Amino acid sequence: MQTTPHTDHILVVDDDADIRQLAGDYLRRNGLRVTQAADGREMRAALETSDVDLIVLDVMMPGEDGLSLCRNLRAGKHRAVPVVMLTARDDETDRIVGLEMGADDYVVKPFSSRELLARINAVIRRARMLPPNLQVSEAARLIRFGQWRLDTAARHLLDDAGTAYPLSGGEFRLLRVFIDHPQRVLSRDQLLNLTRGRDAELFDRSIDLLVSRLRQRLGDDAREQTFIKTVRSEGYVFSQPVVLLGEDA
Amino acid sequence: MTPAAPSRWPRTLGARLLLILAAGMLLAHGLSFALLFYERAMATRSMMLSDMEDDVPLSVALLERLSPGERSQWLPRLERRTYRYLLRPAKPGTALASDRARQVTARIDDALAHRYALRPRAVSAAPERYEVELTLSDGQPLTIEVTPSLLPIARWLPWVLAAQIALLLGCVWLAVRLATRPLERLAAAADRLDVAGQGEAIPEQGPLEVEKAARALNALQSRVAAHVSERMQILAAISHDLQTPITRLRLRIESLEETAAQERLLDDVTQLGQLVREGIDYARSANVTMGEPLQLDLPAFLDSVVGDYEDMGKPVERLPGDHVTLQTHPRVLRRIVQNLIDNALAYAGNAQVGLTVDAEGRASIIVLDRGPGIPEASMATVLQPFHRLEPSRGRASGGTGLGLAIAEQLSRSLGGRLRLSNRAGVGLRAEVELNVGVKLSAEEKDGAGKRA
Repeated sequence: MQTTPHTDHILVVDDDADIRQLAGDYLRRNGLRVTQAADGREMRAALETSDVDLIVLDVMMPGEDGLSLCRNLRAGKHRAVPVVMLTARDDETDRIVGLEMGADDYVVKPFSSRELLARINAVIRRARMLPPNLQVSEAARLIRFGQWRLDTAARHLLDDAGTAYPLSGGEFRLLRVFIDHPQRVLSRDQLLNLTRGRDAELFDRSIDLLVSRLRQRLGDDAREQTFIKTVRSEGYVFSQPVVLLGEDA
Repeated sequence: MTPAAPSRWPRTLGARLLLILAAGMLLAHGLSFALLFYERAMATRSMMLSDMEDDVPLSVALLERLSPGERSQWLPRLERRTYRYLLRPAKPGTALASDRARQVTARIDDALAHRYALRPRAVSAAPERYEVELTLSDGQPLTIEVTPSLLPIARWLPWVLAAQIALLLGCVWLAVRLATRPLERLAAAADRLDVAGQGEAIPEQGPLEVEKAARALNALQSRVAAHVSERMQILAAISHDLQTPITRLRLRIESLEETAAQERLLDDVTQLGQLVREGIDYARSANVTMGEPLQLDLPAFLDSVVGDYEDMGKPVERLPGDHVTLQTHPRVLRRIVQNLIDNALAYAGNAQVGLTVDAEGRASIIVLDRGPGIPEASMATVLQPFHRLEPSRGRASGGTGLGLAIAEQLSRSLGGRLRLSNRAGVGLRAEVELNVGVKLSAEEKDGAGKRA
């Protein structure tokens, strides 16, 4: 990121001054511009005075907690700013609530500064690659395509009977990329870049393998491709129309 | 009844009560029948004696009057139920054996006003029979053959007795059932009681004593549950509050110069962080927030769990197996399976994950490894929190000894069971048995470690 002419501006919101300072110092040493805020009031003030590329937001703060700050943020004019949550426990409930409130990713305390930096970079990269209006999967909890509904918070597919078919992290991220780009041919490189998620350093399976696993999940096979079609020498295309269902249904 | 001979005494309360009541009632009944018979014997005898006192002198006087030829024709008409007259000497026999016979003889002697010399002989003991010989005035011998016997009992009497006994046994059985059934229900309910305070309380109904016992058990359970939950909350609170200082510590160490010492400090703080995280997990596993249960496709679920490990390059393998869907809480179940896989990876370096469904439709998720297994003696203790087989090994692999304890707690909160066993060849087999079709409560169970 040092090579990019634009220096990303990170707003770190945490009630603990030391954590704020230490994390901020590390991010600055790694070429980011950092502003610190101790609470929601300071956060809003910082957002008003400068352009922020990403907010690191602590979930547990006295007064207004991170979850409600995030929800308010998503309802206001800064709704496009990506958010990485700092949560206190590695619990899926927190993660799901956080993602439902509009967070883009989360880091579990106690986290390492390297981990935080990696998440920040991944989220910014993703936000850059996808214009906000294309991030279909962020807009609704339930998305319908074909006979399936995808629960984006719980990360599973639902069939018509309501039976859940969970997806692995990789499958979910790949499917989300497809859903965000329906009817568009995506190259393997594009898919790899967009799919690389929180475990970027560990994720090195080929996209082809992941696509075949996802096809299996969706009930597709290589000969009869209902959802993901292979485009020879170009990549893959998600050929089903996508419908946002919102919270229920 | 004494502990010395416990095998003779039936073990169930019902059988004991049945035995005591039935034996007592049969004995009492037998006793009253014996008394009845005794009284009846007495009455019959006194009746016989008084009859004889009047009858014998009359008969003897009549026979004296008749000519020897006429006497034999009259004999049948003088015969009574218990005695008859014979025109012959008494059989040799023996001397009278019973007091009663002597008494009867004395009465006959009295009735005949001692005018005849009586020669009584007992001729048979069973049935008792004796003959009293006397000589009529013309020299002919006359023998009174006495066969004492009770009046015959009515034909229907044994049936009445049988009916009475049947009625008694029926009542006894009913009473015993009435007494023991609430106890059985109480025991069954107490069995289902969960000390952690989840699940239903024992219904406080039935006979007063059982109701009291149920109330006492419920009170005990709620005290235990309060105690458990308080301990868990303390653990969660401590662990939780430790996270901020540990985060600070970690960030501070990371900002230091990269040296061997810094690396060791980082290892320490990583371990500390993990311990705290698992402490919270364990504290919350006893009172986990479930959310809505969901119909889950188990093979797809296991594929997704294994897929995550595969993506991280971990040697976790999916075994082919049965297919089943069931109502459960996927997030909790994922945690269980992940913990079992993590344990296998930590101790064996590999894991295989499978699914079986038995004949009764119970689904079991099975996690196998090819590691050293667990010594049989430690099988139970490995499920206890903070237990580790080899501290050095566990440390190297980053375990805290809470993974299996958490998996066990969570399995129970799903209404299932975690069982560990050593495989025949080598390695450990962990099996989570899930109750298919079990009704899971959808209510939120908030407890320890609530979001601050």
